[in-house]
Amino acid sequence: MEPLDRDLDETEIELAAEPMLINVGPSHPAMHGTVRVVMELSGETIERCDVQVGYLHRGFEKMCERGTWTQVYPYVDRCNYVSPMLNNVGFSLACEKMLGIEVPERCQWYRMILGELARLSDHLTCDGAMAMELGAFTPFLWMVKARELVWDVMEEETGARLTHSFGRVGGMAAPPTPGFKEHVRAVVDQIRHVMDEVKRLLLGNRIFLDRLEGVGVISVDDAVSLGWTGPALRAAGVPYDVRKSYPYLKYGEVDFDVPVGSASDCYDRFMVRIEEMEQSARIIDQCLERMPDEGPINADDPRVVLPPKDEVYTTIEGTIRHFKIVMEGLKLPAGEVYSFTEGGNGELGFYLVSDGSGTPWRVRIRPPCFYVTGGLERVITGQMVADVVPCFGSLNMIGGECDR
Amino acid sequence: MTLELILLSAGKALFMVMFGMNLAVIMTWADRRQGAMINDRVGPNRAVIWLPKRVAQALVLAPAVLIAAAVVGYVVTHKVEGAPRLGRALLFSQLAIFGLWATLLAIAGRVARSGVKNSFDAWVASIGDPRSFLWLGLGAHAVTLAAAGLLRGTDIGRTLRDVGASAGPAVFAAAVVGGAGYAAWSFERVERVGLRLFGLLHPAADGLKTIWKEDFIPPNADKFLHGLAPIVSFFPALVVLAVVPFGDTLCFGSKAGRIDLTQVMRVVPREGLCTEGAVPLQVLDVNVGLLYFFAVAGTGIVGAALAGWASDNKFSLLGGVRAASQMVSYEVTLGLTLVGAMMVYGTLRVDEMVRWQSQNTWGIFVQPLAFVLFFTASVAESKRIPFDLPEGESELVAGYFTEYAGMKFAMFYFSEYVAVVAGSVLLSVLFLGGWHLPFIDRSGIHLQIGDTVLFHQTLSHVAVIVIGVLAFIGKVVALCWLNLMIRWTLPRFRYDQLMRLSWRKLLPASLVNILVTGLVMLLIAGASASVQAGLKVAADVTQLVIAVAGLSLGVWFVVFVTSPVKKKRILASTAAQFAAHLGGTRTARMGA
Repeated sequence: MEPLDRDLDETEIELAAEPMLINVGPSHPAMHGTVRVVMELSGETIERCDVQVGYLHRGFEKMCERGTWTQVYPYVDRCNYVSPMLNNVGFSLACEKMLGIEVPERCQWYRMILGELARLSDHLTCDGAMAMELGAFTPFLWMVKARELVWDVMEEETGARLTHSFGRVGGMAAPPTPGFKEHVRAVVDQIRHVMDEVKRLLLGNRIFLDRLEGVGVISVDDAVSLGWTGPALRAAGVPYDVRKSYPYLKYGEVDFDVPVGSASDCYDRFMVRIEEMEQSARIIDQCLERMPDEGPINADDPRVVLPPKDEVYTTIEGTIRHFKIVMEGLKLPAGEVYSFTEGGNGELGFYLVSDGSGTPWRVRIRPPCFYVTGGLERVITGQMVADVVPCFGSLNMIGGECDR
Repeated sequence: MTLELILLSAGKALFMVMFGMNLAVIMTWADRRQGAMINDRVGPNRAVIWLPKRVAQALVLAPAVLIAAAVVGYVVTHKVEGAPRLGRALLFSQLAIFGLWATLLAIAGRVARSGVKNSFDAWVASIGDPRSFLWLGLGAHAVTLAAAGLLRGTDIGRTLRDVGASAGPAVFAAAVVGGAGYAAWSFERVERVGLRLFGLLHPAADGLKTIWKEDFIPPNADKFLHGLAPIVSFFPALVVLAVVPFGDTLCFGSKAGRIDLTQVMRVVPREGLCTEGAVPLQVLDVNVGLLYFFAVAGTGIVGAALAGWASDNKFSLLGGVRAASQMVSYEVTLGLTLVGAMMVYGTLRVDEMVRWQSQNTWGIFVQPLAFVLFFTASVAESKRIPFDLPEGESELVAGYFTEYAGMKFAMFYFSEYVAVVAGSVLLSVLFLGGWHLPFIDRSGIHLQIGDTVLFHQTLSHVAVIVIGVLAFIGKVVALCWLNLMIRWTLPRFRYDQLMRLSWRKLLPASLVNILVTGLVMLLIAGASASVQAGLKVAADVTQLVIAVAGLSLGVWFVVFVTSPVKKKRILASTAAQFAAHLGGTRTARMGA
């Protein structure tokens, strides 16, 4: 007997294979923060994809324009909610640049310590979540426990664990607590210990390395032209770190390295963060060494800094000064300024426009992860569905910051 | 089929189902408990049944008194003489020592946690380190064993034997009743007692809860297949257990060709099986054995694939397809891996495989590569991390059971755990000797290396069988624990890596395993008698290794469990200092 399909050649009997259109997010376990990715799948490979951000847009920049400059702090807190202190410090520096004042030395060290602690918390969260989403739950729990210690410090210093609103124009809301240095030393020691354990558990693990190495590669040119900054750009081999390139606070005086990657894959982004945690710990050590135990925290500038409480209650000058700063808001001179610092994810910029009244005319935040997320499409196209998880995780998109 | 056989079959099936399901529930609990421990939380322990004081006391005391009465009654009514008497003396003196130190250790732990309440507590606390009881107990175990070995045949030995045979059961019964009495007495101070079973009620409550949850079926789903899938997924995992022997063949007396369930054989000879009245401890005694396992386990794939297809959801579909391809791939490895084992054991019957291992050496020594491959493949079959791609919670939401809620979801969830238990059971039976413990054969303890008998002690048939069943349970629990550790250690594969592992690494390795096994078997078959005798000695040495390693592992485990927990806390923040000043919380004692 002759075969039935003798007249058919291979191509004709092939089933119609349209690519599968799959909608990931905005509410999906891998899409922390709310981002939506529409993927066109061929099997498990992503042929095309469309990344849509903006689901967490809350109009922060516009909301900033209705209060005083000090009332912006709660908004910047809620931008990058895993390292709010860096945003606080960044915004303070922008306002101070406009005013042309500099905070006392003690405050500068204090801001650096708190900022680096916030960076530790950011990187612990990012790397931990990345491991968790690949199925390694234990390292995530360890790292979140370590982050908890950072938050204990923050709680002790600021009274709030997550949204501190602790920065002030011309200083900080409160001086360091008496046990601050010992507390931070103990916490940093503990974090180093946790990181050693995490490295032992993950970096010798073939499955983990296979999931990261060579996955989500982006070229240096692409990364630069997309406006990438921070760990994601450094993983591509560009040693751009605002703390090193344009030192602010006392970063010029402390000794630290800028870790860079070479392959620009998920593994490099993971490792850059791991190394940066070590560098942050180094910076904190030096800051603790050099931060004076005595001295003012706030700048001696009656235009922006609230008077001490006893003066408010006993002198008419103090009362009036307090009243004017609280009710009218501190007055930044008319003009505009762009000030940028190294946030958890890269260059965190504040572009402020003031008309000289007590209310901001425009507060424009340059969120590092908006630009990084812009590269997500390029990073995941051609990868497999499962690769979206480490790629997206390693870009560390923070919804609040990206969508504002 | 006689009534006795039907009763026995029902009993065995009940045992196996209860064993599999309960172990699965305990694993659910242990899984969540593990996460809680890493995170310094208490874990699932909120489910509680409040019992009135008297009821709780009765619940504690009644089983203890029953056990004690049963032991004493059995010993009094069943008198033995000669070698079995020494066996009984040994067994019960060991049991008595174990009962004593375990009870005292538990009481000491309680005293250390909740303080001295009476003069007995004060005495226990005055010992200092609770682990002294452990060391004393281990010493006593060793001393009695050594005495039994050294004083055999002497007058002192006989006296000691009589003391052990009569006082042993009494002390054991006293320890059990005493421990229960202590617990019951400590309930006196409270109004009601919360029954928590270490938090084990929590997964049970969660399971019950799912029954009342909404049973959601997607509008465009295939309703019949959607409902069928969880059953198809759950059933095979449980039914696989039917071919597994959980103990050595039990020998009853027989009367006129019928099994007499009231008469159990006192002592059976080392070699050979009883002809009449033999009851294999295995639900389904079929000669195709392993083939049945493959046939049934393969059906489990259909459940996941059906669920993925019938849900009308793209994530489910991807998960279902992944599940189908993954499980089919690993099924191949699973099958080919066992070909080597079948060649060595020369049978497909699972009970005969265990018997082969009990007569020679455990499968892990003759088929080490197959052990590793089979273990990997069985983890893959259970669809748990690192092989949980069908579920793929971070990319596929919940994979093939995304669209399932309530009890149907619980069945998928639970079938994973039952699959882990089934895999562990298979692994322990095929490679770890099943119910066999080194140097314990059908007649009792028999320590023999080559042709030299170093020690022999007759034990009663019931004791041997019970020890076997306990050994089987212990091995399965240990393997389940290993599975749990893997789940908490490893990240998950990517789909292509998973396939590469299966087809490019495990499959060739299992083929090589078959080839090497065949060659070695040919070599051994053609070898001289002295080589074969040497192999026999080597097999006995491996048994010795297992015995020593097993005992030290057991001791290490108890030491590990009883060692005090050291937690480093940073008492720098105001809140932490305040908490520490108050002595910490009930679950996290700070600064103490």
